[in-house]
Amino acid sequence: MLKLLSPNIGKVSFLIAILAWLALLFVDITRIFGMMTQIESGVRPEVSYILQVVFFIMVYIFYNSSIIKNEQNEFLHLIWRGASTGLLALAISLLIRGFYGLMGDSRLAIDPLLRNFFYHVNFALTSLFLISCTLLWKRLILYQKTKTVVQQWQAFEILLLISMFFVFFNQNTLDYSFLFGLVFITVFSISLSINLKWVPYLTFKEKWKSILFFFIILISSTYLFIQVLSYSDVDQIPVNLTDNLLLIGLFAFVFIYSLFSFLVTLFNLPTSSVFEQKLVEAINFQRLSQSIKPGENENQVLDILIDSSMSASYADAGWLETSNDQGELTFLQERFIDKETLEQVLDLLSKSKPYQQGNALKMEEGSKAVQTKITHSIYKSALVAPLIVNQKLIGRLVLVKEVKEGFNKEMLSIISTFVGQACISVENYRLLNEAIKNERYKEELEIAQRVQESLLPDILHHDESFEISGFSAAADEVGGDYYETKQLDEHTFALIIGDVSGKGTSAAFNMSQMKGVFHSLVQTHPRPKEFMILANNALSACLEKNHFITTSYYFIQTDTKSITYSRAGHCPTLYYNHQKDETVYLSIDGMGLGMLRNKLYEKYVHEKAFQFGSGDVMVLITDGIVEAKDGNGIEFGYDRLREVVHENVNLDSREIQDTVIREVYKFIGKNKIADDDYSLMVVKFK
Amino acid sequence: MLKIENIDQTDHVVLQLSGEIDASNSVDLDEAIQDILQKGAKKILVDASRLEYISSAGLGVFMSYLEEFEEKDIRIVIYGLLEKVHQVFVILGLDKLITIKNNQQDALEAML
Repeated sequence: MLKLLSPNIGKVSFLIAILAWLALLFVDITRIFGMMTQIESGVRPEVSYILQVVFFIMVYIFYNSSIIKNEQNEFLHLIWRGASTGLLALAISLLIRGFYGLMGDSRLAIDPLLRNFFYHVNFALTSLFLISCTLLWKRLILYQKTKTVVQQWQAFEILLLISMFFVFFNQNTLDYSFLFGLVFITVFSISLSINLKWVPYLTFKEKWKSILFFFIILISSTYLFIQVLSYSDVDQIPVNLTDNLLLIGLFAFVFIYSLFSFLVTLFNLPTSSVFEQKLVEAINFQRLSQSIKPGENENQVLDILIDSSMSASYADAGWLETSNDQGELTFLQERFIDKETLEQVLDLLSKSKPYQQGNALKMEEGSKAVQTKITHSIYKSALVAPLIVNQKLIGRLVLVKEVKEGFNKEMLSIISTFVGQACISVENYRLLNEAIKNERYKEELEIAQRVQESLLPDILHHDESFEISGFSAAADEVGGDYYETKQLDEHTFALIIGDVSGKGTSAAFNMSQMKGVFHSLVQTHPRPKEFMILANNALSACLEKNHFITTSYYFIQTDTKSITYSRAGHCPTLYYNHQKDETVYLSIDGMGLGMLRNKLYEKYVHEKAFQFGSGDVMVLITDGIVEAKDGNGIEFGYDRLREVVHENVNLDSREIQDTVIREVYKFIGKNKIADDDYSLMVVKFK
Repeated sequence: MLKIENIDQTDHVVLQLSGEIDASNSVDLDEAIQDILQKGAKKILVDASRLEYISSAGLGVFMSYLEEFEEKDIRIVIYGLLEKVHQVFVILGLDKLITIKNNQQDALEAML
């Protein structure tokens, strides 16, 4: 039901307003006839007042609904509506005046009926103008409203409502109570008129237009006001409608608010470009901060950067240079400057302090724009801002101006902000790309890890005369440690432990080469020294020249209870002699594989043999174990390892191994990540 | 942290090492040696008295130049090694390939 009714409110109220106006006219004409014919018509003035109130309310409702309908009205449009209504009222009023001027002293000119009709026309138009303006001003005042402003406005509306009924007390005469009410409304109007938040949002052109419109409104309202005052003294009017407190109060309000707006807009004109500039800066900032989408280019951000920086500082020319790792400069964006001039300026700049400061890599300070003086024939001042991405100087933004000291503090700070934001965008973009790449690497590494785990043996060969266990952990996903066993015949076993120089992927590759070499050579049952020489030959052809491999090779013969061994640069093996109850490192000279890649190697590798006894323990390690560091940088060391092993020789091989690992972990501390690969193999003879 | 300082003396170059040399900064050591070679130095003294640790990757750098040193008849002597670091050289057998001396005096004499 309501929905059906609501669109008609405007039309209905308009209709009633016209009827009320016609009724007013009719009542007055009746009165005039009464006066002319000396017959008391008996129509009381209150009837006119009631009709007047009805007229006001209907006009108010009509305008209210028509303004709400056009919700998206812009400020300028609103002001124009007020101005056009004022212009209409003014024009018609002038026409009427002109008409009377033409008539001169003719009969028509003094006809009370016609005069009365025109009076009503003027009254209606003035009311329309004032009420429409009031409602338009309401929109302006309540732009960016706060609770207080809304309450203030509501109070003002109540005040206007009261003033509308004031007519019943003072019969539209200008007495003291009327003046009191008027002053009250005026003061209220002034306090409302400071709400001019919409003004800065007009563009420069719009401001000019609005100034013109306000001027029209001011002229119209002044003229109409004077006209209303002139009616006060005319006695042909039977009931004065225009000396109404509401109308006069609205005059005050409309005039004051228009005047304020007029002046504020006028004085805002010179600064409007600043406001517009700030808006542009805010938009540029937003554009910069929108991270570059994958697949797009960093240059896009740099493009926006130089454009927004130049417009923010009104620079005459500028460019963006990026330097690569070799320090070569590339000029990405050159604006309003030719190559030759650019090089001249750059030459001057490179001697200046701020330019070199960027080189000094003061990264903690971030990207800060600095102004500097230059003595170029055209350009007198320059602004230099380093572009720092990921704590690395990637380039510079340089802006130049033809005036000295051309860049003020605000420009420096806004450009610093722009540069900072651009750098963050570029950094995010790079990080994103890197993250995508890293994700792929990670997958590859996981595959490598699985492959390498399969390179370490599942079972360690042994017979009933000894037990053996092994362990290996890599610092990175893959490592360079290696151990393996091989049963050569019923009583002969080969044991190898090795460590590839370096760590990570390259070490892992070389480790797999070592495995290949071991499996090839071991088939010919070489003696340990022979094995080392052959392995050195083979690896010399395979390894990069700055890589080498250290190994220890053991040949265990359980039938003769003998161990033959050779060491190639590898950390010495720990041996517990049960009979003597002592734990020592097996000493033997031997050079790492791949260190000397010729025949001379044979001179530097040796072989030793000894007998093992029941209860003896042999612990083969890689250097990661003895070089494991605690929080203070102290190494686990050979001595500590010896003590740990010596105290635990009664355990079986697996338990000794676990104890050593536990002790090492305990030593380095739980939270520390091992920074080397470490492996060990424990043999215990029965 | 590795700090490589290369002091040009009259007839030999002194390369000062300090801190730790591991896989991450062995490249710097490599560059330093390459620099020295480019200058055409024939005698290199490596002052390792402040070298606290050297990993296999660092040792690999020295090793990779041994052949070139021999070809170009360049003498290299390392001196002042801390016991711990010296041990690493010995275990690896690198002491057989590079002359190692206790102090600068001995090193200079070994050069002659």
